[in-house]
Parts: sequence; C-alpha cells; structure tokens
Amino acid sequence: MTWRRFGSVGESRFGRLDFRSKLMVMAAATALAFLWESPTLNGLLTLSVLGLCLLARIRLSYLSHVLRLMLPFYVLLLLTHGIWNTNVGRTVLWTAPQGWWLIGGSIQLTLEGLVYGLMIIFRTLTLVLVIPLVVLTSSLDELIVGLVRIRVPYKVAFVFSATLRFVPLLLQEIQTITEAQRLRGLALEKMNLLQRLRVYSRIAVPLLLGAMTKSQQLDTVLAAKAFSGSPDRTYLHEHTMGTADRLVVVLGVAAIATALALRATTGIGGFQLPGW
Amino acid sequence: MTAAARCLSGVHNMDADPIIRIENLSYQYPRSPAFVLRDVNLNVQRGEFLGIVGPTGAGKTTLCLALNGIVPQFYGGRFFGHVTVAGLDTIENRIYELAQHVTLVFQDPETQLIANSVQDEVAFGLENFQVARSEMPQRIQWALEAVRLKGMLHRHPSELSGGEKQRLAIAAALAVQPDVLVLDEPTSQLDPLGKQEVFATIRELNERLGITVILASHASEELAEFADRVALLDQGQLVSLDTPERIFSGRDLLARHAVRPPQVTEFYIELARQGLEPPSIPVTLQEATAAYEQMRDKIAVCACPAAEALPPPSEPPLLSAHDVHYTYGDGTRALRHVTLDIHQGEYVVIVGQNGAGKTTLAKHFLHLLEPQAGEVHLAGRDVRTLAVSDIAQTIGFVAQNPDQQIFSTTVASEVSFALQSLGTRGPELEARVAESLQTMGLTDLRDRHPLSLAQGDRARVVIAAALAMRPDVLIFDEPTTGQDYNGAKRILDVSRRFHQAGKTVIVITHHLYLMPGYAQRVVVMGRGVVLGDLPLRQAFHSSELLRSTYLAAPQIVRLAQYISAREQVPLPILTPKELAACLRLRRTSP
Repeated sequence: MTWRRFGSVGESRFGRLDFRSKLMVMAAATALAFLWESPTLNGLLTLSVLGLCLLARIRLSYLSHVLRLMLPFYVLLLLTHGIWNTNVGRTVLWTAPQGWWLIGGSIQLTLEGLVYGLMIIFRTLTLVLVIPLVVLTSSLDELIVGLVRIRVPYKVAFVFSATLRFVPLLLQEIQTITEAQRLRGLALEKMNLLQRLRVYSRIAVPLLLGAMTKSQQLDTVLAAKAFSGSPDRTYLHEHTMGTADRLVVVLGVAAIATALALRATTGIGGFQLPGW
Repeated sequence: MTAAARCLSGVHNMDADPIIRIENLSYQYPRSPAFVLRDVNLNVQRGEFLGIVGPTGAGKTTLCLALNGIVPQFYGGRFFGHVTVAGLDTIENRIYELAQHVTLVFQDPETQLIANSVQDEVAFGLENFQVARSEMPQRIQWALEAVRLKGMLHRHPSELSGGEKQRLAIAAALAVQPDVLVLDEPTSQLDPLGKQEVFATIRELNERLGITVILASHASEELAEFADRVALLDQGQLVSLDTPERIFSGRDLLARHAVRPPQVTEFYIELARQGLEPPSIPVTLQEATAAYEQMRDKIAVCACPAAEALPPPSEPPLLSAHDVHYTYGDGTRALRHVTLDIHQGEYVVIVGQNGAGKTTLAKHFLHLLEPQAGEVHLAGRDVRTLAVSDIAQTIGFVAQNPDQQIFSTTVASEVSFALQSLGTRGPELEARVAESLQTMGLTDLRDRHPLSLAQGDRARVVIAAALAMRPDVLIFDEPTTGQDYNGAKRILDVSRRFHQAGKTVIVITHHLYLMPGYAQRVVVMGRGVVLGDLPLRQAFHSSELLRSTYLAAPQIVRLAQYISAREQVPLPILTPKELAACLRLRRTSP
C-alpha cells in the first residue's frame, strides 16, 4: 500500500507505541505550540518533533516534499508579519525607498514582526510534522481502532482515516501524472511560475479522480475482509498500554500542565525576542 | 482426475442444495448508463470449481462482488433478483456476516495487502471475526501451509514475489475457513510460473478441503484444466454454462464472445479441418497428448519451419545500455551489468519474472531513472544530457495502466497535449491530431471524456497521444494485461503497423504466446540481469532459460516438444497453426 513509501509502520520504538500514546504526543505538541508565543521555545519544539520524525524513520523524501509545498506560504507569512504586525514592537529594520511607487516610505519591516512571523512558522511546522509522525507510523487498523477506543464515533474515525490515507495517495498520483506529462514533451523545468500554475490546475481533476479510485479500491478490500472498524474484535498482538506508553502519557500531561502554570504565573512562553 | 472425470464422478449432484443460488440477477451501478448484469441465473454446488470467462466488460468482476454483498451493499445502484450464499440472502445479511462464508481475492496483489507482516496479513480477517487470540497462531500456520508460505511469518509483504503475494492474499482469505473462495482474475499480473503456482494451490484447496471455488480469468488453458464447469458471460448475460470440454471446444461460440480457446484446442480444430479428426477435441495438454497417441498411426510428421536468424545489424544502435546498474532506495538491485543494443526498425520483446527489471530498464531509456553505474545512449547521445521532454519526441511510452497517463478532459485534448507542449499550433496541430485519432480509430470519440471510455479504448487513447509526436520508438509496458483476446490483438496490431513503417518497437510482456507474427527478438531478463537475447523461435524452445526466470513455454510448444521427442523430428513451431501444418494424414502404401 502506498503510505509504506513514506512511513515506517512498526519499524521504530515510537512506531510500536500504542496509538493512544501517539495521540498524546500529538495533543501535547499541539497544545504547547499554541500555548507558547516564544520563538525560542517554539523553535525548540519544532526541532524536537522533527527529531522524533527522524527517530521514527519517516522517509526524508516525504519531509522535504512537505517543506517544499509549504515554502511559498511561509515567505508570505514572514512578509505580512514583518510589515503589518506592529503589536509586538517597532524596531524598524528596513523602509521602502521614497521613490517606490505606492509603497515608498509607508512600508516598513520590523524586527519584532519578522521574529513573530518566524514563531508562527515554527508553530505551523510543529503541526505539519506531528501529523505524519502519528499517522505514518500507525497501520490502518491501529488508527481506526485507536480512535474508536478513545470514544470517537466509528463513522468519524473512518472519515478521518480516509482523509489521512488520501495524502500519500495524492502525492503518488501527482508524481505519476507529472511523469506522464513530461513523457508527452512537457518541459516543466523551462516554465515560469504562471505557466506551471496552469499546468498544476489542469491535473487537479485527474488527480482527485485517480486518488478516489484507489481509495475506493482500498475500501472494497477492507469491506471484503469484514473490517467494520468496530472495537468488537480480537487482536493477534496485545494492544495494552505498556510502561513506555504510560510514561509518554504522564510526560505529555505534565508538559501541558507545567507550560500552562509557567505561562500564567511567570509569563514564560510569552513573546520575547530571543537572546537579547 | 480430469475435469470431465470429476464431473462424471458426481462430486456435485445438480439436484442437491446449492451453496450459491443466483436468481434473475440484474444490476446497474449508480452512475453506469446500462445494466452490468442482466437476468443471470446460476447455481453453484458445494465443492465445485466454477470458472468464469468472458470479454472485458462482460460483468465478471461485478458478479464476483455480488457473491458477498459488496454489490449492492457497498456500491448502491439498482439491484434486482436474489443471491443466496450458504443460505444467506446477500441483501438481508450484512457484508460482515457474508464474509464469514465467502472470501474474495482480487486482481492486484498490491492493493489488497494491508498489513506489515505476512502473519499480520493473515490475522487481520481473523481479528475482525473475533477469533480468540489463542486460536490464531494455529489458524495462521494452517493457512500459510496450505499456500506453501510456511516459515515466512515475519516477512514484510512488499518483499514477496508477485506469485507469493497473491498466495498470501489467498491464505488471508482461507484462514477465515470460508465455504466459498471467489477469485477475480487472480493471476493476470503474474509471470507464468507464478500463475501456475496460484492455480495449483487453488485446485489443491478445492480438492483437499472441499472449498467451493469461483474463479474469473482470461487464462483459458488453466481453466480448461482445473474447472468443473465454466460460465461464459458477455454483456452482463450468462451466455453458456457447461463443462470446460464443451465450452472451450465450441469454436464459433468462443469467437462470437471474444474468448480465446486453449492453444491445444485451437490446434486440434485446425487439424480436424485438415481431415485429421480426433475422437474428441482435447482442451488440456494431457488430453492433447493422449489424443495424439490415439491418432498416431494415421499421422505423418513432415518438414517444419526452420529457425531463422536475426539480420545482422548494419548501423550503430539507436538505443544502447552499457553495463548499467541500478539499485532502488529500499535496496532492491533492479539492474546489474545490463548491456543491450537495440537498432532502428527492430521489434523486441522483453520478458522475465515479476521484478526482473524490465520496467526499470525502460525508465532508463526515457531518462526517468539515471544509471548509478554504466551508460545509456539514445542515437549516440548520453541520455543524461537529454531532458525527459526532449526524449519524449523520439520515444513514445505506453505505461502498463493507461489510466495513469490520462489527464485531459476530452480525447482530442489528450492527443493534442504533447503537440501543444512542443509548440505546434493552428492547422498543423489540427491535422496531426486528426491523423493520430484516425490511426487509432478514435475519430468518433474525439469529444468524449477519456475516462468514460471502455478499458481497451482508453489504452488506444494513450497510444494515439504517443503517436501524435511521431516518435521513432514506441515502448509498451505490459500492453495486454487485463485486456481480453481481441483487445490484446488490436493493440498488438497497432504496434505491428508502426513497426512496418520502419519504426522501432519494444514490448514488455508476460504473454509470450501472443507475440508470434509481431516480434522478432526476445530479451530474457531475470533478477536484474539479461539472461538471454535470441530470436523469437529460439526463445520459445529454450525451456530451461525460460524456467530460470519464472516463464514457461506456451502450451502448444510443450505439445510440439512431446511430439518431437516421440517422432525424433525437430518441430521448432510458434503457433497451433504452424504445428498443424507440420502434420499430415499418413497415406497408406498401395
């Protein structure tokens, strides 16, 4: 199945954790990312999640793919915060020269704005990285049964897992279709951004159709194997919370509680320029 | 026991309570314009092995899916009639309940394996059926033993060969201990020995455990050998239901419904036309050799076509690979020391087991992959210096699954895509699109959505799109997989016309028996290495070489080898017709 190409189900210590512990990691990372406004802390958090991804043997190709996809969005984020976010401080780094049409003199980049933008980038990166960390290290049945066990209704769990399954399918389809187009003389490498966007807009329809067909095939296979997502099933391997799992849950809860307490009492985790 | 003998021995008394009862079944998918099954009536007895044959679009897959309620419970649509399996109505009982009695094995081994080890794959169904954990190891062992995969418990399914993967899928279906095993073209993506392995396994399960088997396939030779009865479907209707002997020897019936008879049957029908009538028309190799023995004193074996050598190449090669190595990221050594020259105007088939490196080699010619060692040249230029889009003007590539190469909204725009990429505009564009569409017989379909066409038509759209660039070389990757006999012939006929125009054709295939009349040269690959490079006729008779890479000589070649050994006459034939031409009615001396 496709996500084997990106993931590493059961290959690492992290992968072998109970799905509920993995969800705890996801919850803790998400909570901390939103609780903290500190660029330093958020940067460290992103690095830790990235480190976990590498330890969990998520394929580097998948990570770099995701980063490339997010890059334009991040440039935009940095600029908008640098220019318009003046709530956090007003140390001007650069002003548009007077001669520039329309924006001359009025547009300024502030240090604080840029750093805040950077913090937002770290925050979103944490979220973007923690999802594959949980999803790509769990098998399909672990995922659905895991969700059902924490009382998510089966239908919701199934839709959730179907959506997640879609991502690697889509990436694979994109590759197949662009390969087919290059074989029909399309020279993507010689195109400008506008031309490329036109090409991408053309593949949207076949892309979705292809991914949906594959997704439906998989659903048919699961139905034929009598998989209903019901928690009323037996397991070949015991899915109990081991010592490592309990440790992860305790640490996760402790991390969220500590961060909350520190933020409320001492203000640690609030926005602050790093270092100086 | 032959199929006929088993039938006569009364394994299934037709009056007994059938395990599958299909009454007046008609079905239409939610968005399909017509009914896919029409008024089908069919009973299957416990312990029977029923084969289903029919052209593409006959409704074989839908019938399989109707047996465990996936049609209509999963797909919706309009469903008329009744299907009862093991006493359970497929509408009144949920798929979950039906799946305990009927398990399905699908065509594509890749999409149906979902777990991360062989053991977990087999366990998955058991877990769903709430089999106690203590009972599982025993059931898993039993199922794996039945398909000869014992000792592979902890392997990752992706490490298995194609035949092994499909056998694992069968083991997973089997562990549930179903009454009925339904298999939808389980061998179409497998190399010939993988196919034989799977068929042998299924027959054994049927005979030894009494499991009822329903198997849809284009593999006439195997069905003739193993099935008790064969159902012929066409356009959703059950055209005929009879013993393999009667179905496969019905030459006109098969021709009307685009089903290929077994090669030995074709041979004896041809022989009968020459006045050498066998006592009954054989449908299996065993029956064919027996029939030969019975007729032997009436037959004279005469001169046969001699093996022709390939013309020596005069010019430098158009495509050449020199000592190419390639290893995939997961460590699979796909190509090792591959050296191969292909000249302008050749028609080359590349054959070899699943995973032999055939497609990987083709991707090197197209610069979709770069050799990690060695060099690949196109018309004397190192492929690494050429962009994929530039190579595309010289080499047209038709991928195994045409749907992966379709991305436009009309047939005409699909075909014009390449020309537009290359800057062709205006009347010239129009003219070349029209020419390409006409060559492929698609002119009437030019405004249709490609994905709304039948499978065979979709394949022709992809070929038309490749032809529009007027390439010098066409590479077809498994063009006949999943096609019925007529569809396969139509595609190969296109390749022949292209070749007759002086162009170069490379075909990657498992279907060696389809290649006489088309190909001249065979490159045999196995485990990333070129094992042999020889003329077609010689390749057909190199049994050892073929077996070393999981291929098998076509059935008619095996019959010829039998006769050849018996009469001490060389018979290097390629087709049933050629073999029939070598045999004459013996004239009694005056």
